[in-house]
Amino acid sequence: MNVSYAPVGRDVGRMLQALSGLVRITILVALVWGEYYVLPALLLSALVTFASGRLLTHAFRDASDPGKLHGMMVAAAGWFSVALFGSLPFFLIAWTIALDPMLLDPPALSGRAASTVGAFREPLNAVFESMSGFTGTGLTMTDDESALPRTLQWWRTFIEWVGGVGVIVLTTAILARPGSGSLTLYESEARSEKIHPSIVSTVRTIWWIFLLFTFVSILVLWLAGMPLWGAINHAMTGLATGGFSITDNSIATYESAVIDFALVPVMVLGSIAFPIHYLILQGDLKNLYTDLQTRWVFGFFGLGSALLSAMLYASGTYSSLFDAVRYGLFQFVSAMSCTGFQTAVDATNVALGKWSTQAQLTVTFGMVVGAAAGSTVGGIKLIRLATLVKGIRYRIMDVFVPDTAVRRLDIDDRRLTEEEANRELGEAAIISVLWFVFLAMTTFVLLLVLPESQYTLENVVFEVASAQGNVGLSSGITGPGMPTVGKLFFLFNMWIGRLEIIPVLVLLRALFTRGGLYR
Amino acid sequence: MRVDELPVLHHVFDSGPDDPVFDTLLLGGPPLIGVIAVVGREPVSVVLVVLYLLAFAGYLPYKWVRNRRQEA
Repeated sequence: MNVSYAPVGRDVGRMLQALSGLVRITILVALVWGEYYVLPALLLSALVTFASGRLLTHAFRDASDPGKLHGMMVAAAGWFSVALFGSLPFFLIAWTIALDPMLLDPPALSGRAASTVGAFREPLNAVFESMSGFTGTGLTMTDDESALPRTLQWWRTFIEWVGGVGVIVLTTAILARPGSGSLTLYESEARSEKIHPSIVSTVRTIWWIFLLFTFVSILVLWLAGMPLWGAINHAMTGLATGGFSITDNSIATYESAVIDFALVPVMVLGSIAFPIHYLILQGDLKNLYTDLQTRWVFGFFGLGSALLSAMLYASGTYSSLFDAVRYGLFQFVSAMSCTGFQTAVDATNVALGKWSTQAQLTVTFGMVVGAAAGSTVGGIKLIRLATLVKGIRYRIMDVFVPDTAVRRLDIDDRRLTEEEANRELGEAAIISVLWFVFLAMTTFVLLLVLPESQYTLENVVFEVASAQGNVGLSSGITGPGMPTVGKLFFLFNMWIGRLEIIPVLVLLRALFTRGGLYR
Repeated sequence: MRVDELPVLHHVFDSGPDDPVFDTLLLGGPPLIGVIAVVGREPVSVVLVVLYLLAFAGYLPYKWVRNRRQEA
């Protein structure tokens, strides 16, 4: 089958132009903080990104609207390109500091600060950080985030914040292109439900809600005692369920139970689907319990946190019940919302990687499942879990009813016919199986390349689930010293995890077919 | 020119749940954060933030109760 790449080229070009705008906004942050030495790096990043985008949109300006196939290819190629070009600020600023040009007068770094920024001189580390940011994963190549220039702290936060809602959603909101093409792209970025009949209105309302919640979250964290710069960054990455931090030990740095508890509702907000937020803002609060996914979000968060806290207390990981609840609640919500903020670290208490095996696997379960589809989270998502659970029950019950019986499968407020039920169950099963296949594949590779006896199997499974679920919690494996093969596989895991696998496989198939590698 | 016809503001008023209170909270967020950045953690900034958050948290149930009364 011949595939025209023109719509893909044009729409990826548009996404790059939008990305260029993000870099230009970041220039303002550099000016506010007086980090003038980063300006050439940012200007060059913006220019290269914009020129590449402009070249693509101009070359393919007559391309037709994207169909379903193109939509998936645009999503996969677009996210990869955005991660690639989004690495430029990391790479160029790191080299600016290393080369120390006389006129720019960058700071002289030493010790951990030098190695933290210096890690980005490796292009692969810069791309890793960018992909981790845009996909909302939060795994990092930095050693000490507090040593990064403020501009890079902001860039990490900003790309997670934008990536949480979606790069295509951003592009559609800015470059408003009404019609079926925008809807196709919107759906290919792991979103399906619309708030308004018009897709442009829908994405603008999503941004409206996201902005309001961002301001509310910043103020909540500041009131809880976080300094303003920390509150801005952590509110943005918490709401986007991304998890990048500007401190060395993530949220544990603050050593404040009030801040820990204040962040929980921020992460919960990011776990609820935007259409439900819209209805709640309309005064329709009953959606908090009538919507299946939202009900399950609260149910799973509550039960999972209680179970984890009980395990931590019973195993003696924490000697007081309050500590067990504090760390159990925070880490389970952080995991299942796919945020990845960490309060359990050795510097202040007991690191996640040292929790009991059952506690680590409980957190892993949360990371694999994720929260509501249509929110900012990763993972398989609750609606798929619900479809699988109800679908399996439906299949088993098949045996007990006569062949002539007309049966329906009820999921949420939808009543599916036999054909619809088969299709939805099939889709949920395919994505879940693929999810576990890629999880197993990277686990196997990591076990081969990591130094023997340094990490346990549960450490490795935990880290891979974290990367593919776009979570960012770490058992200590990810870092600049990680083997290159491991970094490459994690890049792939983060990419497929954000787009729910299929679009990436479609793009790879199209590329391999064109290259003659697949018939 | 009306307020909702201004370049950036008309996007705010056109999107969202069409509610002047939420529109005000959205538009009031950045100036309030600006105030915090300038004056720091002072009683006046703390009071302003508390009022902002109370308005947000209190308006949701108020709106829900008002809608239910209208439906009844």
